[in-house]
Amino acid sequence: MRKTNHKGKDCIITIELGTNAVRIFAFDLKGALIGFSKGTYPTFHPQPDYSEQDPEQLFITMLYVLKNFLTEKIHSENYTVVTICFSASMHSVLPIDINGVPFGNAITWADNRGKNEANALKNTALGKKIYNATGTPIHPMSPLIKITWLKNNDKVNFKKTFKFLSIKSYIIQQLTGKYVIDHSIASATGLFNIHNMDWDPDALAYAGITADKLPDLVTVFHSPGKLRKEYQTSLGLSAQVKILTGSSDGCLAALGAGVWSEGKATITIEDSGAMRVVGKKVMQDEKERFFNYVLTADYFVSGGPTNNGGVIFEWLARQFGDFKNAYDIETCMEELINDATKVAAGADGLLFLPYLLGERAPIWNANARGCFFGINIKHEQKHFVRAAIEGILYEIYSIGKTIEEHRHIKTLSVNGSFATIPFCSQLIADIFNKPVGVSKNINSVSLGAFLLSATEMGIYKNLDAAAKSVVLEETFTPNKLNHALYKKYFEIFERLSSKFAEEFEAIANLQQENR
Amino acid sequence: MKEFLLQKGYDEELQQFAHITEFAVKKNSSVQLNSLNEDCTNNIRIYYIIDGKYEWNIRDKEYILYPGDLIIIQPGHKFGGQKGVMDRGTLCWIYVELEKASIPENILFGNWSCLPKKELSAIGKILKLSSSPVISKVKEVERILFAIRHELFHQQIAYITRVNQLIDEMFILIARKLSLQNNTQRDFPKSFLTLEEELRKNLSNQWTVEDMAALVGLGTTAFTEKVKNYSGFSPLNYLITIRISEAMRLLRRNDLNITDIALDTGFYSSQHFSTTFKKLTGYTPSNFRKKNISNEKD
Repeated sequence: MRKTNHKGKDCIITIELGTNAVRIFAFDLKGALIGFSKGTYPTFHPQPDYSEQDPEQLFITMLYVLKNFLTEKIHSENYTVVTICFSASMHSVLPIDINGVPFGNAITWADNRGKNEANALKNTALGKKIYNATGTPIHPMSPLIKITWLKNNDKVNFKKTFKFLSIKSYIIQQLTGKYVIDHSIASATGLFNIHNMDWDPDALAYAGITADKLPDLVTVFHSPGKLRKEYQTSLGLSAQVKILTGSSDGCLAALGAGVWSEGKATITIEDSGAMRVVGKKVMQDEKERFFNYVLTADYFVSGGPTNNGGVIFEWLARQFGDFKNAYDIETCMEELINDATKVAAGADGLLFLPYLLGERAPIWNANARGCFFGINIKHEQKHFVRAAIEGILYEIYSIGKTIEEHRHIKTLSVNGSFATIPFCSQLIADIFNKPVGVSKNINSVSLGAFLLSATEMGIYKNLDAAAKSVVLEETFTPNKLNHALYKKYFEIFERLSSKFAEEFEAIANLQQENR
Repeated sequence: MKEFLLQKGYDEELQQFAHITEFAVKKNSSVQLNSLNEDCTNNIRIYYIIDGKYEWNIRDKEYILYPGDLIIIQPGHKFGGQKGVMDRGTLCWIYVELEKASIPENILFGNWSCLPKKELSAIGKILKLSSSPVISKVKEVERILFAIRHELFHQQIAYITRVNQLIDEMFILIARKLSLQNNTQRDFPKSFLTLEEELRKNLSNQWTVEDMAALVGLGTTAFTEKVKNYSGFSPLNYLITIRISEAMRLLRRNDLNITDIALDTGFYSSQHFSTTFKKLTGYTPSNFRKKNISNEKD
């Protein structure tokens, strides 16, 4: 066993089980970054609407990266790990049998196989009741819908299922032997009543399960137990290391962005994106456009998600980028952004609807598709590039506008690889007409997990105090003239998005038929 | 090129080449019924269009072929003219026999080839994986085919070796073109996913970095760097994570013995498996199995 150095070189490890990679960060107790490492795992699409991951591969990738990271950055520098805190993508479902053996792969948030189940429940009285109770929109992403799909389509395994886990529950069970799910991840299942912090009887009944088919509910600060002996040995960690169940990537991104009081909102754009606010009240919406997740019993993280973030710009770069000189897609995207800066705000009248992957908030239309609108004979490639970026951000703005029907927002903070591109951050400031801060620590999820752990240790009095410690590095101030212009374009954008509803459906049906 | 038809068993030019079943150039000036009905063979059939326009069905998909197109029909793949006829035009073909044992899982070339086993297996894998049977605008192949004909008809010193070398050259060219066609630099994650799926399908295979790089259409150095950047792992370490995850799944089932699991997941011995597994997971395979099957309620 390693000697522990009690002279204060303690550190906190955060493990984020993300959509396509595990990211491991280490912070000292003051929040300074010691190092980080990542390992990717693939998402499989055995059928068009399916989106799955191999739970064993996730686990082994996490172990492998963690082990190397500990050896290279932590043990060798004589740091002592005091806490390991987990975060994960929301909405995953992994059914296991009585022995803990998964029935195949985990179903991820992006899986749409439950389309029919979602349509059957949405806009019914029961659907509304469940949405109001659980805060999770009725959508194929929701585990409520996924489990219902399994009930209807995989009867044999559904009956044999001992528990329906989330990916994080599975990983934590491997490490500690306990089946747990934290309130945050639970609040994104569509099965959890966010008002009384327990499983919702209506939702459970609809999915055809009882509460014992789910992991035990715990708070985000809960420690399920010690690392199993074998992992203590192989990882070189002592039995004293505290394992924190932690939270979801969405909630932690808000905390890590320092958005923990009224008047603030955070915009996260990676491949997909979301805009979130934090408040003490649930954001009730007649039209069921928002999610309301919980971090602790006192706080709701509310907002709307988009499918069409950086992934759309990457798509554009792949089709229209210059690959002759550029070695890879990243360089290519940089060059395209350079081109876009050469075009005036508003792309000289070219508009782009970014709904290539269908859209969630605020239009919640899986049939929505992309569109360039207003093309004239003077438009060049660079206009298309700029219009695409502007269109992705108009979509975020349309989420923001609906949030502002409920909340007053004074400042924004942005994070995620796409939103933190300076050109995009400035555009967000102009479109929203609000100052935009960029987190110093670009990975807000990990910083959020650190703040959670540090609060648990008593370093911060509470999460409010922890959130206040977040330093926003750079501020982009809005350009009034550009804002006035963007506002006019946005009005057209918004009208097109709703006017096209019938055409979206017609073209999506044709695409489906002719696949 | 002048018309000719060489067939194994009939023409003495092919006597020294058990692996070439047919080699021909044909100028087709009239369309005859049933001249190209759909069939499957155990050979690999390669067509090169010199002139004309051909309408063919390959694996139930319709293709229109133009001069400069190279068509590769794999063993067991259905192929024929759309109306059962050979269209007007000129084309060259060569049929090459494969190792019997290799069909249909793999494409393995016989001992006639001058290439080392490793490279042959990589070429075979690329052929198997290719999504399209057609490569467009490959003028280079015409030179190779003409040279083969020249060697066969003139039979100068060492012509046997030369013919085999030229066939090797043709397959190298095909593999390179296919691998470029299947993998654009534009979408490494997509190529990487295809590679992952292929690795999972043949996990017991002794994969080398060269094999993997070839499948993605990159040189080993660039490949290693890209994989490292993208996944955080070196190619071989990435492969180990896949092997171990599959092993974990198999260990959870009680009906397989550990040596079989080791071999199925690509470890060369149960000892090697055991060491790697323990190093990564902290458990020996048998302890892992015990822990996960008997009493989960600890």
